[in-house]
Amino acid sequence: MTAYFARRLLLIVPTFIGITLMVFTITRMVPGGPLERMMSKMQQMDQSSNVGKSTNNNSNKSSALSEDQQEQLKIYYGLDRPIYISYFIWLKKVVTFDLGTSTRYNEPVWEIIKSKFHVSLTYGLLVLVISYLVSIPMGIYKALKHSSIFDNISSAFIFIGYSIPNYVIGIGLIVIFAANLDLFPMGGFASENFSDLTMFEKFADIVWHAFLPVTSYLAASFAGMTFLMKNTMMDNLSADYVRTAMAKGLSFRKAVVGHALRNSLIPIATSFGNSISVLVMGSFLVETVFNIDGFGLLGYESVVERDYPVVLGVLVISSLLFLIGNILSDICVALVDPRVQFSE
Amino acid sequence: MRLMLFLCFLLLVGGCSKEVVKSDLDKKIAAYVSVPIPIGDVKDLDGLKWETNNNDPVFSDSAAKKGGKININMSSFPLTLRYVGPDSNDGFRSYIDGNKMGLLGIQPVTNNFIPALATAWALGKNFNSVFFKLDKDAKWSDGKPITADDYVFALEFMLSKHIIAPWYNNYAEEFFEKVVKYDDFTIGIFTKKKHSKYEMLLNYGAGYVPEPKHFFLPGLDKDWVVNYQWKVAPNTGAYNISEVKKGKSVQFKRNDNWWAKEKLYYKNRFNVDVVEIKVERDDSVAWQKFLKGELDLFYLNIPEYWHVKSDIKSVEPFAKGYINKLWFYTNAPQPNYGIFLNLDYELFKDINVRKAFGHAMNVDKVIKTVLRGDYDRQYTSQDGRNEYTNLKIIPREFSLAKVDEYMKLAGWDKRGDDGIRVKDGKRMEVVMTSGYAHHQDRMVIIMEEAKKAGIEIKLNLMDGSTAFKSMLEKQHQIAWTAWTGGILPDYWQFYHSDNAHKKQNNNFTNTDDKEMDKLIDDMRNEFDDKKKQELSRKILQREFDLAVYVPTFSVPFSRKGHWRWIQLPKERGVNDKDGPILDPFVMGRFWIDENVKAETLQGMKDGKNFPPVEIIDTTYKRKN
Amino acid sequence: MIKFKINPLTQKKIKRFRTIKRGYYSFLLLSLILGLSLFGELMVNSRALIVSYNGKLYFPTYGAIITGKTFGLEYGYETNYRELRDKFKSSSSSDWLVMPIVPWNPYENDLKEGAFPPLPPDSSVGHFLGTDTTGRDILARLFYGFRIAILFSFLLVAVNYSVGISIGSAMGYIGGKFDLFFQRLIEIWSNVPFLYIIIIISSIITPSFFSLIFIMLMFGWMFMTWQLRTSTYKEKAREYVLAAKSLGASDARIIFKHIIPNTISVIVTFVPFSVASGIAALTSLDYLGFGLPAPTPSWGELLKQGTANLNAPWIVSSVVVSMILVLMMITFIGEAVREAFDPKKYTTYE
Repeated sequence: MTAYFARRLLLIVPTFIGITLMVFTITRMVPGGPLERMMSKMQQMDQSSNVGKSTNNNSNKSSALSEDQQEQLKIYYGLDRPIYISYFIWLKKVVTFDLGTSTRYNEPVWEIIKSKFHVSLTYGLLVLVISYLVSIPMGIYKALKHSSIFDNISSAFIFIGYSIPNYVIGIGLIVIFAANLDLFPMGGFASENFSDLTMFEKFADIVWHAFLPVTSYLAASFAGMTFLMKNTMMDNLSADYVRTAMAKGLSFRKAVVGHALRNSLIPIATSFGNSISVLVMGSFLVETVFNIDGFGLLGYESVVERDYPVVLGVLVISSLLFLIGNILSDICVALVDPRVQFSE
Repeated sequence: MRLMLFLCFLLLVGGCSKEVVKSDLDKKIAAYVSVPIPIGDVKDLDGLKWETNNNDPVFSDSAAKKGGKININMSSFPLTLRYVGPDSNDGFRSYIDGNKMGLLGIQPVTNNFIPALATAWALGKNFNSVFFKLDKDAKWSDGKPITADDYVFALEFMLSKHIIAPWYNNYAEEFFEKVVKYDDFTIGIFTKKKHSKYEMLLNYGAGYVPEPKHFFLPGLDKDWVVNYQWKVAPNTGAYNISEVKKGKSVQFKRNDNWWAKEKLYYKNRFNVDVVEIKVERDDSVAWQKFLKGELDLFYLNIPEYWHVKSDIKSVEPFAKGYINKLWFYTNAPQPNYGIFLNLDYELFKDINVRKAFGHAMNVDKVIKTVLRGDYDRQYTSQDGRNEYTNLKIIPREFSLAKVDEYMKLAGWDKRGDDGIRVKDGKRMEVVMTSGYAHHQDRMVIIMEEAKKAGIEIKLNLMDGSTAFKSMLEKQHQIAWTAWTGGILPDYWQFYHSDNAHKKQNNNFTNTDDKEMDKLIDDMRNEFDDKKKQELSRKILQREFDLAVYVPTFSVPFSRKGHWRWIQLPKERGVNDKDGPILDPFVMGRFWIDENVKAETLQGMKDGKNFPPVEIIDTTYKRKN
Repeated sequence: MIKFKINPLTQKKIKRFRTIKRGYYSFLLLSLILGLSLFGELMVNSRALIVSYNGKLYFPTYGAIITGKTFGLEYGYETNYRELRDKFKSSSSSDWLVMPIVPWNPYENDLKEGAFPPLPPDSSVGHFLGTDTTGRDILARLFYGFRIAILFSFLLVAVNYSVGISIGSAMGYIGGKFDLFFQRLIEIWSNVPFLYIIIIISSIITPSFFSLIFIMLMFGWMFMTWQLRTSTYKEKAREYVLAAKSLGASDARIIFKHIIPNTISVIVTFVPFSVASGIAALTSLDYLGFGLPAPTPSWGELLKQGTANLNAPWIVSSVVVSMILVLMMITFIGEAVREAFDPKKYTTYE
């Protein structure tokens, strides 16, 4: 088993290189990169600002740049070398734990990523804990009471959560609870006067802000997990070994708890590994809707703004989390399911 | 675990390196010694006719009181506090620029030059030099005197490769011969090109700013861009940055010892003590904060904000008179919003098609409906430029009859089954390239209306810089875009045949017209301002005749809501050419009345009403 | 697949599907809406269904436009039938016309001076769900947005599954190095952030209906491939395959005649969910502004408008409700199909 996991860990390396190399190449090949952004900004105008005072009335600053000058800018943005060499340099830096510098903020990418972690982590943990706490018992209960009124009614709600993208649920929640009923804030992670609050108020403030976004996150993960739990539970309940156990005189309750439940947790365990990447990444759509300054939004904005070092930095973190998450899933399965013998 | 270790390690590495850089640079600046600089030949100054201007009306209000704080918002945190180099060209830059004075100022009503950092000025003989006597009182915000050295350095600075601003390099290279010092308070600027008097005083007087040599020179090396990223440079204006909360807010504080505070044209201006600019990423959140009084000012330029969200009849803080509204027309230079037809595209080689196209764009419908009649039609590509603007030109109106007439001349009078014009088996289909996603509403209406005229427009909406790139490569058929420009039009880059059929320039229409070339060349070689203006008007007429540009929208006003305690000067009618009224830095004519503030806050508690105020000032509205 | 006759087993499955009411009725209803939407021009359109003018009948819905001049109006562009109707009504002539239920097409801007969009629902002018920020009828845009989204999704599922089925079964059947290579490829490919790539691509080209399908295919083929690989592995080891092999059947014949038909039940259970996720994906892209070009009617664009204009709640609520209904129906169908094809979930302890 150790050998198996060692092999899996080693396989991370080529996969990681494959992923990053591909994105790296794309960012280099397509137009609209940082250099062109700078050029269009200088040569045209900045649309976003309402206030415009040009200290210099000479509009001739808009003249085009010479080849030589463009080359200088390429050097500044590190775009002067061929892709494979740049990639190699980048990779070498990543290995020494340096994700480079943001072209937008001129700050280390890691600093920027770090500053978003607490937000995403708060939501991620809340969602993870609540969804496991609620959906496992709920799934079991629904399996046992299949076709009951409770099962049908709860299924209807879960279906809504399952079928609608979570950001749309978020929009719906904002419309009802924030815009119309004014019960919750429209978005954000905490209030403006957060630093002036007492410890308890701070906590309450975060919960108050978190309520709607966490609900919309939950709607999706919760629905999927409850169904998974219910279905596998029903699978196992109808499986031969449960029948056998009961035929041998075990009570239904004991058969469920002792046999069916344990086996039903396997698929849930499989999904655990993936949860950790979701935990940190969040969903940028939900973050956009609720204006939460988290990790997902950072990734999205960096793509839109073509801040490639940040794009790649986010990619490094997310793909590592995902790959490690996969292995964790396997470990979880091995722990829960004694039949699994990872030897090939 | 591995991950955790990795995280900790990064924290440590990131933490230390930054500190080292900072202290190094500070030492350098402290140890700075002046480097000798070139001295001009005093003979240059012989026979100069020095001018000054202390006779224009003062445009501030003597009732203004100093003090108080205002809060305003910006949509994102600045990427740097440098005002040159990469990423320095964002919205925040205007706040920094607002606090940089030029050698000369401009009186906003008369448009005459007035003293600023220079007390007197004189023009040289050959249209290629200008001389200034500097104000001896002038000081940087860190207390160091502003001398001729700082002006000489400013050119060196603009030419430096270390600032990673090739456009500045080009500009300095192309326009400046040299800047020389005669004594500590007399300088001369020699230009490569010849200029008329107005041009000279505008570009090299009002437009020339000193740079703090003692601050920039010591660190002017290959790391300059990084090292000065978050440094606050000493400046010449009334305010400077006093506090920066990364990602949250930037605070500007009034310099109590500002050198110009008692000068004729600067008295009773820049009254507020502190201006705090907070980041509000989301407009609707910012709006809520404005309604609560957490922000003192808010732009109401968007029609919905002015007409619906701040309706003085129904929206509480406005109806109760806590927040007042001001709609102020200016005749400031307008960006040339419009549709640029690419003449290299086969269809537009025919002038009749172009004219028909102009008549098929229903800009007025957009203005009258979605824009609620607030915005104005753009008339020419150079609106709001005084005598340089040709007021006689009225853009082609939406007229299906005229479209038919011109299309017939061009042989496009047949229509296909879908109502789109056809000629020789080809449909009249045009792709419109744009990078302005926020104009999509306007575009779709114009596109729908054009169908009535038998023209199908397809939209190719791209990311701003990608769109601009493809336009620079002249890949567009028509382009929906704009440039901002100063008060002096520069036609060469837009319409001269030097730039036609070539990539990487701003002649997006590929205009290649002998008559246009001649007018542009004449204007460049003319040094009499009156004649220059006349030529400018002729060029605009030619622009209309060639029908290469369909003017769209202009916003010749500034609209803001402001809390009641913000007091406007009695003489409101000052054309805010340089910056929207109620901008704290550019004109700085308003002030806060603390008594009114207390009264208002008390009134809000007691539920007391004040008369609602909504002022629409059309003094400077274009009359035709 | 066409030769694949409905065998008794499949019949049984279909019968079981029909007993699952929630899914079955959803299926009927959705088919009905889809069927109607294919002839949407007859229900939601600015063109009249029938015009009787000077004793002559016109059917403007399909075919070439009829200019205003035809009906004695002054203009040479397409007739505004709503105005024509009012004109007929006010005049005493015997001319008449019939408009569709919703007399608006999804592109036209209903703009009048003095009334500024978005306008709230007003059935008297036929805006049953109001107008959007440029005065377009929301119901019309929802309706055609639905048609585009679901057709898009169908086509996407078709190409995704074709590619997935071919590569997946080849992986399972051939195995060895071929399998290993594609395994690596899929692992890498599925980790590439699909959305980033789409954002980058659609900022440099304006995607069309088909180019967007192609882009989404690039990142959507892996799922089916993986499923098919697994089931092919299973089927390959079955006796009938070995029998076919020993009879000298070619590999292609075995894959297409034997393996794929036998894995069809696995494939079918995934289809509804893939359709739903196709719709959701297109909507999300449009919401972000990276989907189909303007002015294509789209749910995502309405969502974006709705969230930006919460003071016009009719925009956001109509689109959110429609999305919930449609996606829920599809999910119901999906669950029912799954249950029908997989009977063991039926066993319960009473």
